[in-house]
Amino acid sequence: MNEYLTPLWISLKTVLVATIITFVLGIAAARWMSRFTGKLKPIIDGAFILPLVLPPTVVGFGLLLLMGKHGWVGKFLALFNTTVVFSWPATVITATVMAFPLMYMTTRGAFEQVDTNIEDAARTLGASEWRVLYSVTLPLAWPGVAAGTILSFARSLGEFGATLMLAGNIPGKTTTIPVAIYFAIQDGDMKQAVYLMIIVLCIALASLAALAYLKKPKPRDRRVIPNPVPSDILQISKKKDNPA
Amino acid sequence: MLTVEIKRSLPDFKLDAAFSVDGEVLGILGPSGSGKTMTLLCIAGLLQPDYGLIKLNDRVLFDSSGKVNLPPKARNIGFVFQNYALFPHLTAGNNIAYGIRHQSRDEVNHRVQVLIKNMELDGLQNRYPQQLSAGQQQRVAVARALAPEPEILLLDEPFSALDSLTKEQLEMQILELRQFYKGHIILVTHDLVEAYRLSSRIAVYDAGKIIQCDRKDKLLSSPVNQKVARMTRFKNFMDGVITSINDKQVGVNVPELGANLQVAANGHKNLTINQSITIGVRSEHVQAVAAAGQNILRGTLNSAIENLASINCYFDLKTNTNTNYCLEAAFPKSIAPTPADGTNFYLYLPPEQIVIITDSK
Repeated sequence: MNEYLTPLWISLKTVLVATIITFVLGIAAARWMSRFTGKLKPIIDGAFILPLVLPPTVVGFGLLLLMGKHGWVGKFLALFNTTVVFSWPATVITATVMAFPLMYMTTRGAFEQVDTNIEDAARTLGASEWRVLYSVTLPLAWPGVAAGTILSFARSLGEFGATLMLAGNIPGKTTTIPVAIYFAIQDGDMKQAVYLMIIVLCIALASLAALAYLKKPKPRDRRVIPNPVPSDILQISKKKDNPA
Repeated sequence: MLTVEIKRSLPDFKLDAAFSVDGEVLGILGPSGSGKTMTLLCIAGLLQPDYGLIKLNDRVLFDSSGKVNLPPKARNIGFVFQNYALFPHLTAGNNIAYGIRHQSRDEVNHRVQVLIKNMELDGLQNRYPQQLSAGQQQRVAVARALAPEPEILLLDEPFSALDSLTKEQLEMQILELRQFYKGHIILVTHDLVEAYRLSSRIAVYDAGKIIQCDRKDKLLSSPVNQKVARMTRFKNFMDGVITSINDKQVGVNVPELGANLQVAANGHKNLTINQSITIGVRSEHVQAVAAAGQNILRGTLNSAIENLASINCYFDLKTNTNTNYCLEAAFPKSIAPTPADGTNFYLYLPPEQIVIITDSK
């Protein structure tokens, strides 16, 4: 039983770390690109979204070239006597790369919806760019940012092709749920495959439900007073507004 | 004192503005797209001019030659946006407190309370912007801009989204604001009446340039060109030639109407005989009189439109050419002509109410 669940723990660990990294990188890239006006904008924008449209095996192969013995990153890591290929960090790297476009696109769209006047107002009130981001832009873009995070989470959980190429299938080390299901079926271990399938179904359904909850339309009548003020004060302010 | 001398070029637009404000309300008046808001954004540091200098009370905010360009947060400028740009996720009180920094919680609360009282927002501080009326939102926006004690307050079309009743009340509030806010104020508007009521000096913008910047009474009495005259509601213009000059009055021949008019010199110094000029008369200064005489033209009543307090009458004047000249006159309702008066009138243009415009633009 414990053996059956090992891929679940590996997947959860990978997805958690990958989602946190994607969250930070996605917001940083979205912030940068939503203000960027240079000529290279379409190209940079395209490069960020590329992993979404490429076959996962292509992304995995590219990462393998980059991080293998003869790649730039691989050579750099060799200086410290480490390698990422066929290790647990490789599952995090592939999950992050594959989920990043979803986080980036959703967040950037949400940032671009924020009225620049509101951000400018914060600047004229003495706010630093950092404060503008966390006190104005993020709260106003929050539904979009949260949606992007959930989509990235779900995408990391489902990552298969690129992970198999870069991290391989080392049971107890790099075997995530999708990889485990694939090899379980190949080995004819239907029991494990079904177990893991049910777990993935539940997690995916829960994240989509969370997404739907976020998108639930706000009540139309927003002129509701959450902290009712004493009626005598209301009377006075009403009089001032409508002397007629 | 705020001194502004800026240039900024876009593919199809050029801003070239120079003016100063010192402890007063300066109105910036102009049609949409004339560069008024762009000027404010440059002062606030939200847009960067290509060239120029912006100085506020001996602090250089922007200097293209010295490569100075302070970020908006370091400029200490209060900005009220046209759409107010309140933080929708913060209550009115927290909106106002946003810009108050480096102070204890008690000091911030105290300052917010003072502003809430001054801007007559009592009882509304726990409401969110979308729970406030447009007028209340605007007062929160002004209070928020004033909270960090800015050296200058910039108001970008602050009344454009309001009904006329609310607008009048808020205009009063801006006038009263002078009692507790002593900094400079710049008010951008496309409404002459609003600019006139609220400011002491008015800069008139047209296509990115300031075509006149004067005390408001001077602006109304001596527009530098036809554009300013039209913007300050002169309705009647006639092209003429100077035929005589003495120290107080100038004789002007208007060939189109075959008329010789006497016009007050009104401070004009460099007039010469035979100079081509344009003269302008406001509709409310045209008078209907009983008989012919000096400065009196004959006109036929063409149509009339009733206003709240006056009646605008349009008279066709006899011309020497085939063209039609229509003179607009606004009469108080009590003395406006009625059908019983017939259709032919003698119209008197008082010499002291006629302005001379030497700039033909």
